[in-house]
Amino acid sequence: MIDSAMTETDIQLMFCGSAGDGTIAVGDIFKRAMAEAGFKVLAFDIYPPEIRGFGKCISRVRVTSRQAYSLKHQSDILVSLNDSYAIPHVSEVRDFGGVLYDQAPISAMAEGEHISGHLQPGQLPYGVSMREVSDQTTGGSKAKNIVALGFLAGLYDMQREPFHQIIRDKFKHKDPIISESNLLAFDTAYDEGVSTFRLDFIELGTPERQDIGSKVQMMTGNAAVVRGCLDAGLETFFGYPITPATSIMEDLATDLPMRGGRLLQTEDEISAIAATIGAGYAGARAATATSGPGLALMVEMLGLGVMAEVPSVIFCSQRGGPSTGMPTKTEQSDLHLAVFGGAGDAQRIVLAPTNVEGAYKCAGKAFEMAERYQTPVIVLLDLYLSNRYETVILPRQNPFEADSSKKRSHQERGVPYHRFSFTDDNVSPRTVPGEEGGIHTVTGLEHNELGRPNDQPDMHLKMSEKRHNKLLGALDHPGITIQKRFGDEGKVDVGILGWGSTFGEILEAMLVAQDEGISCSAMKVVMLSPLPLQPVQEFFSDCREILIPELNYEGQFANLVGSAISKPFTRLNRVPGVPMRVADILDEIRRLAAQVKSAA
Amino acid sequence: MTEHYVIIGNGVAGNEAACHLRQRDPESRITIITAGRLLFYSRYELPRLFHEDCDWRDFLVNPVEYYVENRINVRRNSFVTHVDAQRKSINLAHKESISYSQLLVASGGATNLPAELSDFAPLLNRFNLYTAACQVRDILPKKGKVVMLGGDVLGLDLARNLINEGYQVILVATEQTFWPHRVDPDERKLLLGALTDMGVEVIENAKIETIQEGAPGMSARHILFDDGCEIFADVVMPFFGLLPAADFMMGSGVDFERGLLVGTNLRTTDPSIWAAGDVCQIWSPEENQYRFYYGWQNVKKMGEIAARNMTGDDIHWETATDHKMYIDENRQIVSPYWEHD
Repeated sequence: MIDSAMTETDIQLMFCGSAGDGTIAVGDIFKRAMAEAGFKVLAFDIYPPEIRGFGKCISRVRVTSRQAYSLKHQSDILVSLNDSYAIPHVSEVRDFGGVLYDQAPISAMAEGEHISGHLQPGQLPYGVSMREVSDQTTGGSKAKNIVALGFLAGLYDMQREPFHQIIRDKFKHKDPIISESNLLAFDTAYDEGVSTFRLDFIELGTPERQDIGSKVQMMTGNAAVVRGCLDAGLETFFGYPITPATSIMEDLATDLPMRGGRLLQTEDEISAIAATIGAGYAGARAATATSGPGLALMVEMLGLGVMAEVPSVIFCSQRGGPSTGMPTKTEQSDLHLAVFGGAGDAQRIVLAPTNVEGAYKCAGKAFEMAERYQTPVIVLLDLYLSNRYETVILPRQNPFEADSSKKRSHQERGVPYHRFSFTDDNVSPRTVPGEEGGIHTVTGLEHNELGRPNDQPDMHLKMSEKRHNKLLGALDHPGITIQKRFGDEGKVDVGILGWGSTFGEILEAMLVAQDEGISCSAMKVVMLSPLPLQPVQEFFSDCREILIPELNYEGQFANLVGSAISKPFTRLNRVPGVPMRVADILDEIRRLAAQVKSAA
Repeated sequence: MTEHYVIIGNGVAGNEAACHLRQRDPESRITIITAGRLLFYSRYELPRLFHEDCDWRDFLVNPVEYYVENRINVRRNSFVTHVDAQRKSINLAHKESISYSQLLVASGGATNLPAELSDFAPLLNRFNLYTAACQVRDILPKKGKVVMLGGDVLGLDLARNLINEGYQVILVATEQTFWPHRVDPDERKLLLGALTDMGVEVIENAKIETIQEGAPGMSARHILFDDGCEIFADVVMPFFGLLPAADFMMGSGVDFERGLLVGTNLRTTDPSIWAAGDVCQIWSPEENQYRFYYGWQNVKKMGEIAARNMTGDDIHWETATDHKMYIDENRQIVSPYWEHD
């Protein structure tokens, strides 16, 4: 990288093209090269529901020397691989940012069809011979994306080698001539980039030193879930493919058997949850992964898991709904379903990580909790978190317990076994089938301590209390952040309460607001059920105004919090199918801060 | 129907015209097409690069917001390949065609390089664009040596700035020295003397045999003259005046001599095409010939006249008096062409 050790790096690129242009692929190469160079990367791809040949693809990559929490609202560079799709996004490039495009497309075009006519006055054009270089080096126009990447790398004086390595790796299963011709395309464009006078003021500095004793990796939220599952000792996985959760099963299909585990693609989501609960009952660490429509099918069996107190882990990556909804768009609208879905008082644990590293931790801790509290645990992701890339620092030591079950004590082994015995912590010792002296009855019916059906009012009350109160222990579960406050301490003018992937945007907005002199704090809530009521109440007490931004129409988290806390707050709800804009949150913070000032 | 005024060229004439067109026809579309990548900047200010920490934003004549507020679309990095006067359309190198109601050609002049020096072009540094100026700044060592070939007014402006900053300047004088001023032999002798007094080393009557890259560790350029003399320099720059940059008008049907031929109203032989600035030759009734006029003020006036006539006026270019180069009381040469807004 260029020698500017003191420069803080914070650039965001946006690759835009149609399906089949290699837009996501080139974004992937770029972010991997940046991560390889030691930068922090946060990236998110948007693609159409169609498989190939139609629709817009966008890959946004933010490269920073220090940790970033969300994508920026405006990109520094736009790379157009298809002008008709990229033109609407020109306005997302900041002043004095650059726009790269094919300066010699193959066919004649009418006025307005070329992106160069849409640049705003402050933006800088970089015409690149994408098609020509691709033709010359590979004999076709398919490598336009690699040409654009090579030009970009040359323009900003990036080292070639990480790109070479990743391109070789990408084509390693194909004819070597494809790899070589793509490298030639990259290098030819790289030289063109080097010789192009750079007019913008974008600098790549030096990455921050990484934490010693940790492993730095770039991965998506779903990949982090997979990693968390494997580190936590997942033994069986049952699933049915659904966007945006499918890649969890895809990756596990490769990795889980290598660790001695089993994976089965079931005929539907109902079978998947049923098999997961069955495996959990048998004592295996078991999980499934789905999205909102799949979770809707699973809630009946979830009730069985709650009633029978069987551990299971369900990963739900939310997308736009209801029904089939918007499969490739992000949303946070399954909170009600995850927390309340199902018949009866079916309390369960719901975790919602806010970033990729959190996805890893929540995934692993979900197994501990499911075992410890003998209940289904839902880990609520969303498309934005599932698909976005971040460089994360994973601990070198496996942070998860291999077995968290509460087992019979030595003394208890000598007495008749009561599977659902009432205990101080409301968690009963658990046995697995085949364990000597552990025979018991399990049913979806309300039951007594032996597990035998019993619908007497007193028993139903006591068992309901048991199932409810045992989960409160999860609020103190070790090694996981249940909630956390950021920003100014003590009394503040504006507090922002958030959950899930939107919390990154909340943090970015809060940091800007602080820079503007606004007294503010943000709190993320990772455990949505049971809700950490006391810290949330304290946060409410500390903040003169409270803002709750979330990507759903109803304000589902606000409803959840509002049902427990009477203090008024402000909702900020958006359903654009894409991550919330930092600017929208910031505007609300400013408005509320002004409101506090004027009231004072 | 909304008029679409297209202006080829992003210099003084084009931007002055755009400004007047917007004032006189608020509803119209205005598009400026330029091969450059930057908005309109002052090339006269480029020598500041040698004594200030500045970049292209500091040279912008209008702020970015000006173009938004005035709805002037500046299409940069766009190369015009052909003008079809019959269809009233322009073809761009990236295969896009743009139609116009009225067209103003204000594409200015390109650096003139005599044919005998064309072989050495890769070894010569220009100063006509911001990017070229930055390259000179970047490769020229502190107190380094610059050889100027020719020495038109743009070159001499740079020369005096370089001298003031401690650089060495050698001028290889030719008949284009002082261009576009018309200088008689007596004046020329006085002016060259003044240049010497200013610190410029002047070489006259020298014919360049070859220009080569310097040996490693030595000065970057090596100039050999036909009399056997030689000069080592860090940068060699040609300043031989400008040639109209309007090759794309070939085949358009518009009359073209050395530049686009226009009447005193700046209209070409096509009723929808106008020209202004260094690209056009204006009919001079007094001299009974077409001729060029240079300098910021002249070119700016042309832009205004063209715009007004494009929007219905009938104003005519009045023959300007030729500006004289002179020597001031401090023995400094001064060209009125250096004056700008």
